[in-house]
Amino acid sequence: MAAITNIYSEHGQLSRPLAWSLGLHLAFAAFVVVYATYIQGFRGQGWGSGGGGEAMGATLVSSVPLPANPTEKTNVVATESKGLTKSEPIIQEVEPEAIPIPDKNVKTKVKPAPVKTDTKRKAKLEPPVTNEVPYGEGGPVSGPYSMTAGSTKGGFGFTGSGGDFGSRFSWYVQGVQRKVTENWLKYEVDPRITDAKRVYLTFDISRDGHPSNVSIEQSSGVPSLDISARRAIERIDTFGTLPPDYSGNKVSVEFWFDYKR
Amino acid sequence: MSNSVRTIRYLSLIAAALLLALAAASSAQDWIRTGTGLGVERVRLAAADFKTSNADPKNGELLKTFNDVLWNDLDNAGIFDLVSKSFYPLQEPSQPSDVNFTAWNSPPPNASMLAFGNLGVASGKVTVQGWLYDVKNQSSPQVLGKQYTDNATNDAVRVIAHRFADEIIFRLGGGIAGIAESKIYFVSERTGHKEIWMMDYDGANQQQLTHTGGISLSPRISPDSSRLAFSSVTKNGWEIMMYSFDLNRLVSFPRFGGMNLSPSWSPDGKIAFSSSRSGYPNIFVIDGSGGNSHRLTNDQGPDVSPTWNRKTGAQIAFVSGRTGLPQIYTMEADGTNVQRLTDQGYAVSPNWSPNGQFLTFSWMRKYGPGEPGSNDLYLMDIASKQWVQLTHDSGRNDFPCWSPDGRHIIFQSHRSGSDQIWTMLADGTNVKQLTFKGSNTQPNWSWK
Repeated sequence: MAAITNIYSEHGQLSRPLAWSLGLHLAFAAFVVVYATYIQGFRGQGWGSGGGGEAMGATLVSSVPLPANPTEKTNVVATESKGLTKSEPIIQEVEPEAIPIPDKNVKTKVKPAPVKTDTKRKAKLEPPVTNEVPYGEGGPVSGPYSMTAGSTKGGFGFTGSGGDFGSRFSWYVQGVQRKVTENWLKYEVDPRITDAKRVYLTFDISRDGHPSNVSIEQSSGVPSLDISARRAIERIDTFGTLPPDYSGNKVSVEFWFDYKR
Repeated sequence: MSNSVRTIRYLSLIAAALLLALAAASSAQDWIRTGTGLGVERVRLAAADFKTSNADPKNGELLKTFNDVLWNDLDNAGIFDLVSKSFYPLQEPSQPSDVNFTAWNSPPPNASMLAFGNLGVASGKVTVQGWLYDVKNQSSPQVLGKQYTDNATNDAVRVIAHRFADEIIFRLGGGIAGIAESKIYFVSERTGHKEIWMMDYDGANQQQLTHTGGISLSPRISPDSSRLAFSSVTKNGWEIMMYSFDLNRLVSFPRFGGMNLSPSWSPDGKIAFSSSRSGYPNIFVIDGSGGNSHRLTNDQGPDVSPTWNRKTGAQIAFVSGRTGLPQIYTMEADGTNVQRLTDQGYAVSPNWSPNGQFLTFSWMRKYGPGEPGSNDLYLMDIASKQWVQLTHDSGRNDFPCWSPDGRHIIFQSHRSGSDQIWTMLADGTNVKQLTFKGSNTQPNWSWK
């Protein structure tokens, strides 16, 4: 039978490094004391020692040369440092070249301008490279991004396994958005409410497009708004079958409602 | 290494594996996070003219029909902002490899979606290939790709265009099927008699169904589109008649006696109608074969024009004159819980929306001597009883009926000087005339 090894029994081996450490620290402290006392003391006089005890003589003058008023040499409003934003470039007007009036008396021999033949093929003009991410590309959006449209606010974001449903089938996501918005009857909300916190709902869309498992994830605090949001989803029979290219059996949706009267 | 250390390591590995498995399971679910107030507008759709895929001489005529029908269907859908063709790039694609994404997804077209494809005739058959591309998503652009083959006739090409349009509308319209293949039934007097006619949803292919030589009114198509109920004058008075689309002729139906008017189908195939067999006109219900008749209302005021809640079949709206002028009422399908919806004027012709949420009807809100109220169409939210006026200052408007997608309403209007069938979006916009010949009234839209 193999001997049992105690993995916590190795603490005795630290004594030697600790002794080394203590010794080195003491040696360093001794060096600092010796340096300050002897080596530094050989360099001239000590700080604040003065030049002897002689008397000071004073002479009366007619006027004291006061310094002139300071003048600001740098413009604190417009500095020369470059900012993050650039001002509009000044477009310098280029005056058209004056066309000389031909003098009839002077005969000038007009030389035909040499025709340049560009033997090299002209380089294809490439559109300037921008950092814009084309619609539907760029991978999963970390979102939610938000925007303002009229008096209502909202946002969107797609996540998930690779987050590719939203990017591959953005037309389907927009259809969901459109359909829920169409079926949300705002008059169901208490008319005394003019503004409310965002209410979040979650639900699943099965392969045949049917919504299910509707639940309020985060309440707005206004019961009538929560109910109207829930009814908007429950009112919908189908969002349309999930795209045939999508392999999953269902998609989960987090949908929020912003209410502002 | 001791056994205890080894055990601790194994346990740590197992715990780490479990944590990884849990994390993988939780992230296997795709999430959408979105909300309201994002300014979601109609889909900006470009529909490039389809191109010919071969040089058959018959291509030209069929291609024009296809492109016209497709464009009209998408324009009528009510969910698209169709990009004007004048903004299109010069090079319009006919194959996926031809699509220049930048040219379509940036101004001037600035389209989100692009429909394109090709058409070719070979050996008397026409083949159409159509695609729908999300042009703002270059990495995964295809939303739809379809191929259709049929006889090379104008009618077949019309049907193909309708189907392709319906596919696009279904995908981008939130799973609601398009109406391009739906039918409209109506009463026309163009032959000198009031007969039942039918036409495509866009007014094309108008054809006569009945030849009774008398007066036929109130056509109502069954939910499965196999039968059409209507009321007609017989030698015994007004009776409910039945036309079969399986047999393409009238089929026998029980006679009830008295005056029987305005049949209406429930989603599960029952028929409600107004009958005066026992004195005053009241609402009765029968099954689809005319049997199992029972009475729902029992009052002296005439009760007419029943219409079922098309979603649930659990309520019926009807018109009653029990308090004087006709008003709109609702009741449960068993006749209980009668409630009055309108409180003034002269309200008739209710029709329930496919989602069961709204009722549209014709209402003369100010009616009587010295009050020249106009006969306009209104929309009422059943739950809140809030209403909105859909037509304004445009003659007499009556007999509104919802489209199967709940986005359109068809109605009869006298605004052009004669009674004709018109259609509009359910918000009252995009009004279009569908019939022009003779007098055409009482339209009824198919269920799908």
